[in-house]
Amino acid sequence: MVLRRGVVCPFCGCLCDDLEVEVEDGRIVSTKNACPVSRSKFLSHAEDRARPMVGGREVSVEEAIEEAARILREADFPLIYGLSSTESDAQRMAVRLAELTGASLDNTSSTCHGPTVLAAQECGAVKCTLGEVKNRADLIVFWGCNPAEAHIRHPIRYSITPAGMYRQGKKERFVVHVDVRETRTSKMVNQFVKVQMGRDYELLSALRAAVRGYEVKEAAGVPGEVIKGLAERMKGCRFGIIFFGMGLTMSRGKNLNIDAALRLVRDLNEHTKFLIMPMRGHFNVSGANEVLTWLTGYPFALNFSRGYPVYNPGEFSAVDLLSREECDAALILASDPAAHFPAAAVRHLASIPTVVIDPKVSLTSKLARVVIPSAIAGIECEGTAYRMDGVPLRLKRIVDSPYLPDREILERIIERVGG
Amino acid sequence: MEVLLNTGRTVDQGVSMERGKTSQEYFEKVAVAFLHPEDAKELGVGEGQAVRLTTEFGSVVLRCSLGNTERGSVFVPMGPWANALTSALTEGTGMPSLKGLRAKIEAVPGGKPTTLEELLRSWRGRSGSA
Ligand code: SF4
Repeated sequence: MVLRRGVVCPFCGCLCDDLEVEVEDGRIVSTKNACPVSRSKFLSHAEDRARPMVGGREVSVEEAIEEAARILREADFPLIYGLSSTESDAQRMAVRLAELTGASLDNTSSTCHGPTVLAAQECGAVKCTLGEVKNRADLIVFWGCNPAEAHIRHPIRYSITPAGMYRQGKKERFVVHVDVRETRTSKMVNQFVKVQMGRDYELLSALRAAVRGYEVKEAAGVPGEVIKGLAERMKGCRFGIIFFGMGLTMSRGKNLNIDAALRLVRDLNEHTKFLIMPMRGHFNVSGANEVLTWLTGYPFALNFSRGYPVYNPGEFSAVDLLSREECDAALILASDPAAHFPAAAVRHLASIPTVVIDPKVSLTSKLARVVIPSAIAGIECEGTAYRMDGVPLRLKRIVDSPYLPDREILERIIERVGG
Repeated sequence: MEVLLNTGRTVDQGVSMERGKTSQEYFEKVAVAFLHPEDAKELGVGEGQAVRLTTEFGSVVLRCSLGNTERGSVFVPMGPWANALTSALTEGTGMPSLKGLRAKIEAVPGGKPTTLEELLRSWRGRSGSA
């Protein structure tokens, strides 16, 4: 039995780096410190694995790679999408392949925190690391997110109960949850504020007004007194932070909601230190934004058909390209759009030759022409991933695997496409 | 009954997804509509019974589960069932509208939730090229 310590969890953007994993005869037998989702990922890693396929027939990996290269070579307007559940060298290779094939290149942030990126490009964002939050924050606001279910260890490692340098446990922090419904997160906080669905922008604007000293009345179902109280609390804290999620990015207003939140935080910095951080979902979706930005200048939704990168969310974002039926082939890397895209987009994906590179059987792999199985980053191969606060961490290889890492599969496709 | 549709993550969705999206567990945890008990009563459905949700963009039958939502709204865990109902319009942002859609909910006495196979068939429907 081998005990691996300091293992980084490759599931969500918290990238918890204190896991312990026990390996016996090349198999993972137990985990310590992992949340239920993480445990499920480690203990089920060998289950439900994808097989190399072309047109529904099992083939060799080489044959699948050959067919993938042919599809991309022959396509006029291919889409390369996903990237967020793999490590950063594979992301780098995906950029190279996109450039070579004149493809559109998008990552899953277009359907999670794309609106956050758009808003931050408009007005900037006041940021910090999770370590600073743990050590210093005395006011934490969770807005439109549900860490108790989606980032399960966030509250104990960074935001609610950890023993920080200057803040100890829950009693030295005040925690607020703003959401459309009470969830498990609401039960962990000091104050729950219920906002009406689709009206976050209104509440954020009212808060901004209150912070500036204007008289405010009820907004988005929240009484004026509550808004005033929250504004005062925000102004009066020593170090405050808003963590926000899909409740803001996916609901009515999208990037405008985030814009309002970023500006609220900017206003608050006239009174105290206040910061804001998106709760990133996939473990390396931050990395996808970082890698694309350092290689092309743009974080997502770009296109190489002119030979240089052109950025245009709404045009080169995957849901748009698919639902407008524009792309004529797709390569999906480490993501499952068939499970998470609106049906109109999925139908087009099912109608074009699609290549899926994924460790597991996914719904997209069931629709794909070519399936290439890969090693799971952070369990079966090493690599780098970026935490939700932009801190890069090294993923470990815990067990050996017969599968190729994503980066090697992409390299082989690149060779055959003619790179 | 008219409702607002909300979609998102749950622990069960995450855990069962890692077991496999074709697993029975995933189907049981994700093909679910969470309703307020009062709304369920009004519809005449109980825990585990079938309800049909319909939006401008599609329609699916789900298993009803009580409790975890506000009156007048329905929560469906993110996944292929929720996305049979969501809009691909991104308003120039790249982000589809996955939360706060208007939907109609009705009881389907004796009905069964839409299966994954049925969803796959509906996606392939137009082409069959894969
Ligand atoms: S909170 Fe996220 S990173 Fe931490 S163990 Fe759970 S899934 Fe992994």
